[in-house]
Amino acid sequence: MSWIRDDAGAAMVTTLVLAPLLLVVLAGVLQLGALRVAAARVRAAADLATLVAVNDQDDAELARSGTLRLAADAGDVAREYFARELELSAPLLERSATEIAAGADVAAYASAPAIDTRTGARYDRPTLRLVAEVPVRTPVFGALILRPVTVLHVVALSSPR
Amino acid sequence: MPLLFSVLEFGTALERWLAQDAATVQAARYAGEVGGDAPQVRAFLAEELRAAGIAPDRVSVEIVPSRVGWREPIRVSLTSAYPVTIPFLFSTSVPLRSSAISRGELNR
Repeated sequence: MSWIRDDAGAAMVTTLVLAPLLLVVLAGVLQLGALRVAAARVRAAADLATLVAVNDQDDAELARSGTLRLAADAGDVAREYFARELELSAPLLERSATEIAAGADVAAYASAPAIDTRTGARYDRPTLRLVAEVPVRTPVFGALILRPVTVLHVVALSSPR
Repeated sequence: MPLLFSVLEFGTALERWLAQDAATVQAARYAGEVGGDAPQVRAFLAEELRAAGIAPDRVSVEIVPSRVGWREPIRVSLTSAYPVTIPFLFSTSVPLRSSAISRGELNR
C-alpha cells in the first residue's frame, strides 16, 4: 500500500473521486441549458399564439364603430396555434402538444375595459390571455434528483393596436 | 480540461440555439405580415442572425408555403451546424434546428 502515499497514488485517488463528480456537474449543466432552451421555446410559442389570435379583428365592429374588438374565434385560434408551435418541439415535451394546448386556460376579452377573472388584472384594450402548464422531459434531473419531468408555467398576453 | 471545455462549448452552442430560435420567431411573424417568402423577410432574418453573431450564409432557411393567404399558416425553419471541439476528446458538428409558425395577415 505504499503507492497510496506517493504523489501518483494521491493523484489517482483524487481523479477517481473528482471525475464522477465533475461528470455529474457537466450533465446537470447540460440539462439546465436544454431546459432553458425548452422554456424559451414554450414562451415563444405562447407569445406567437396570442399574437396571431389578436391580429385578426372583428371587421364588422371595426367598420361600424371604428373600435378594435377581437374576432369571435380568437380563443380557438390561440389554442390551435399554441398546439402547432409546441408540436415543433414535440421531442422535448412529456405530453402531446394537442393535450397541453387543450388544457391551457385561454381567455378572450373581446372588448375593453375588462377584468381578468383569473388574475384580477384590468385590461384597457381588448386582450387575449393564455396560461398553460407545460411538462418538459428532464431525464438527467430524473437520474440526479428524481425529477424526470419539469413543469413550466407560461403566461402570455396580447392586445391589438 | 475536457470537462471545462465541454461546459464552455455546449454553453455557447445553447446560446446560439436560443438566438437562432428568437430570429426564427421574428421572421415567422414578419413572413405572415408580408404574405410569404419575400426578399425583405430574408434580409430581416440575415440582419437578426448577424446581430446574434451567426453568419447568415451558413444557415439554411425554408419558408413554407412561399406565398401565404389570409389566415393560412406559414412555417419558417432554420438549420445550421455548430462545430463543437473538445480538446483531447472529439470534434463534431451539432445541428441546430429552429421552427416557428405564424399566420398570413394579408387579405389579398
